[in-house]
Amino acid sequence: MNTYYAANLLIYAGVDIIACLALNLQFGVSGIVNFSFIVFQAVGAYTAAVLSLPPDHTPGFDYQIYVGGYQLPFPIPWLGGAIAGGLLAVPVGLVVLRKLRSDYQAIALLVLSVITNQVITNARPFLNGAAGLASVPPPLSSQLDPNTERYQYLYIALTAVCVVLVFAVVNRIVNSPYGRSLRAMRERELAAAAIGKNPVALKMTVFIVGGVIAGLSGAILVGFIQLWAPSVWLYPETIILFAAVIVGGRGNNIGAILGALLVPVGFEEVTRVLNTNNLNFGPPGLLSALQWVAIGLLIIGFLWFRPEGVRPEPRRVFAGSPDTVEVELVRPA
Amino acid sequence: MSGLPDQPMLVADDIHRHFEGMHAVDGVSIEVPEGQITGLIGPNGAGKSTVLAVLAGTLPASSGTIVFEGRDITRLAAYRRARLGLVRTFQLPSEFARLTVLENLLVAAPRNRGDSLFGALLGKRYWIDDELRLVDEARALLRRFGMSAKESDYAGLMSGGQKRLIEIMRALMLHPRCLLLDEPMSGVHPRVVEEIRYYLQSLRAEGLTILMVEHELRLVEQLCDSVFVMAQGKLIGSGTMASLRRQREIVDAYLVG
Amino acid sequence: MDLYLAAFGFGLVSLSVIAIGAVGFTMQFGITNMINLAYGEVMISSAYVAYYVNRAGISIWIAMIAGAVFGAAFSFLLNRIVYAPFLAKGTSHIGMVIVSLAVSLMMANLLLPIVGYYSVSYQNSTGDLIRVGSIILTTNQIAIIAVAVALMLLIHGLLRYTRLGKAMRATSANPTLARNCGIPTQRVVDMVWVITGALCGLAGVVAAMDSDTFAIANGATFLITILAAAVLGGAGQPYGAMIGAVLIGLITELSAAAWSPQYKEVVAFGILVLVMVLRPQGLLAKRGALAAAG
Repeated sequence: MNTYYAANLLIYAGVDIIACLALNLQFGVSGIVNFSFIVFQAVGAYTAAVLSLPPDHTPGFDYQIYVGGYQLPFPIPWLGGAIAGGLLAVPVGLVVLRKLRSDYQAIALLVLSVITNQVITNARPFLNGAAGLASVPPPLSSQLDPNTERYQYLYIALTAVCVVLVFAVVNRIVNSPYGRSLRAMRERELAAAAIGKNPVALKMTVFIVGGVIAGLSGAILVGFIQLWAPSVWLYPETIILFAAVIVGGRGNNIGAILGALLVPVGFEEVTRVLNTNNLNFGPPGLLSALQWVAIGLLIIGFLWFRPEGVRPEPRRVFAGSPDTVEVELVRPA
Repeated sequence: MSGLPDQPMLVADDIHRHFEGMHAVDGVSIEVPEGQITGLIGPNGAGKSTVLAVLAGTLPASSGTIVFEGRDITRLAAYRRARLGLVRTFQLPSEFARLTVLENLLVAAPRNRGDSLFGALLGKRYWIDDELRLVDEARALLRRFGMSAKESDYAGLMSGGQKRLIEIMRALMLHPRCLLLDEPMSGVHPRVVEEIRYYLQSLRAEGLTILMVEHELRLVEQLCDSVFVMAQGKLIGSGTMASLRRQREIVDAYLVG
Repeated sequence: MDLYLAAFGFGLVSLSVIAIGAVGFTMQFGITNMINLAYGEVMISSAYVAYYVNRAGISIWIAMIAGAVFGAAFSFLLNRIVYAPFLAKGTSHIGMVIVSLAVSLMMANLLLPIVGYYSVSYQNSTGDLIRVGSIILTTNQIAIIAVAVALMLLIHGLLRYTRLGKAMRATSANPTLARNCGIPTQRVVDMVWVITGALCGLAGVVAAMDSDTFAIANGATFLITILAAAVLGGAGQPYGAMIGAVLIGLITELSAAAWSPQYKEVVAFGILVLVMVLRPQGLLAKRGALAAAG
């Protein structure tokens, strides 16, 4: 198998898995419908990019205009991306998560996603507008030539480490008393408050942690594809991730991984296969449009037939429990 | 802590609550003595549940003060009041449906080292002792209320009466000083009503203070040491059921039979 | 100063366009409790229907009716086939939002292969310029304003004086009570979707007329402005939506004159955020966006 193809597949898979784990934490476990998720991945990518790029007047890079350009070595851009994701979550969360009911929160976040993309597109000097940033130096490119096979393995390894780290963090959170409090808040916020849980604090924490992880995923991705533009993070990208979490199984970390592999990665692969085999698929863009239709159908189909997803949230049974009988599910609404 | 032993545990003074131009609560003052079961009764729409919600902090008071164990809690958020020991239940079933019965109880326990972000990140070793201790405590409650067999069932699949019991047990995990019960018997099978009545009496015997909004006067008679009567947002009487029956206006306005 | 007066004139057109859409959207929410995120796509689809009719040589003002009919029929079917079954199943508010978002995504992408990516515009003479002081508007734009005013009056008449309107207001206030009072809520809901669907279709055509060109991508931006107006006025309040439209229309046009026309949606969004933070229930509503209490 071609190493470069494998790297592409595995790294995209890694990034998608990390993103889905974060969205699962926010949406599946805690019930926060973060329709602006992709913005957090984008802020991580942009931050990592401007931290690793040289100043924009540097020859070879001067066709772009952007802030920053500190040319910092790995791992600072990745850390910076993660932190940026977390920082963005603070003002957004404080504005949106406090007094609004859940469907209003969702549309406020959705609108935020659309508007942010427009603003970045229009404000050229900030992040190079619609053209976006290109020639982003890959991490450790001064130590190892990014065009070699060995570099691909290195990047895969780096991504894998991040996946394992993120999974460990998310797993610890979800399968702990804290995770239980998050789920209780998701189930019935007023009752959770009545037993002493501070809903705002819980939501803000999850929003920030999710933002950090999303930012990291952006940093990983931009280091690999070496470019980042508004067209990469339009609001429907969040919908793909939602489809992944819903299909895979919301509230279940393994389900999130499964969803990431089935939906974003799965669709990517199908597209690639259909394209390389030169199957005549009609006018350009038709395949992409049909994919989006399929995503919409997946969401609606699963919400109708199997809202809990392929791998549902597990029922927690404690040692010494009298339970031995298979118990039916309570389906998420 | 409560000051003098004669001090009521919970005092609401001149509570008003308007919303959408309506005066749901119009100048209500209530005292809940420690160690007793106090009733809050009145016809539909009298504002009883609103008073309870204001006391619990679910709704803010438009004016008036609330003092709990000598401390002004009028501006305190609901979750803070719960942590101080003032815990409410809800009229409509409010179990955490996709948590098991045992988890419903565990989640309420306040002293669990794993119940914070850092505690969770530190891993199971850090909080497992607290968790096991609380599992024992919760299982003891389940035994007392006869629901041990349902420990690992989803709370959402329980019957109405079972959900009530879960809510009460859940509140008890907080070691509350005062329970605010919003129509605990509503929609519950008569046999289970007797069970709940029995449990409430035993809780009072252990020194728990209870304020109970309730419809069924027979129960109020059996359970409540004193009663406040509301109608149309106002307080129209208070005292024991016996003394209230002697007051003509109250009988006419509300008490039938 | 002239610049601002001219912007005020544009604001009048803008608010007319927004008002038609916002009233329809807010009525859908008020009476069926449904935040229909596919609204923008229905608007743009109706605009395209009118476009094809227009291309066949029919005046845009007649083609507009085709757009309205499409909007009405499609919205009615959308509710019957997708939304109502999910609601009957007991899907939560947020679940319905996700469903409507999925629908909007599907609509946009089903339409794309059919109509293409490229912007189109109506065959429509812009008409003569009318000048009132520094306010310069074309007869077309004045006609748009007139259409909006007429529709607002019709809606007002509907809600105030007809049985259906009263039934709609009752269902909006308290659906269970309305049903118990013998109001055929199923039929009221159907009519709501038909009427608001027609408004949605008209809004789409008018919005497309007001821009030089339009394409599928405009669906999302339409939606945002309408959302802002509806939330500002108070979700579910038709008169609130009218007020919201006036404010959003004027403020965005004036800000476009003051800063840059590129940021009109940003201003609308900024207003939306301000409203959500300072007065989530909007100007007229009592509850609206606030988290359910008790």
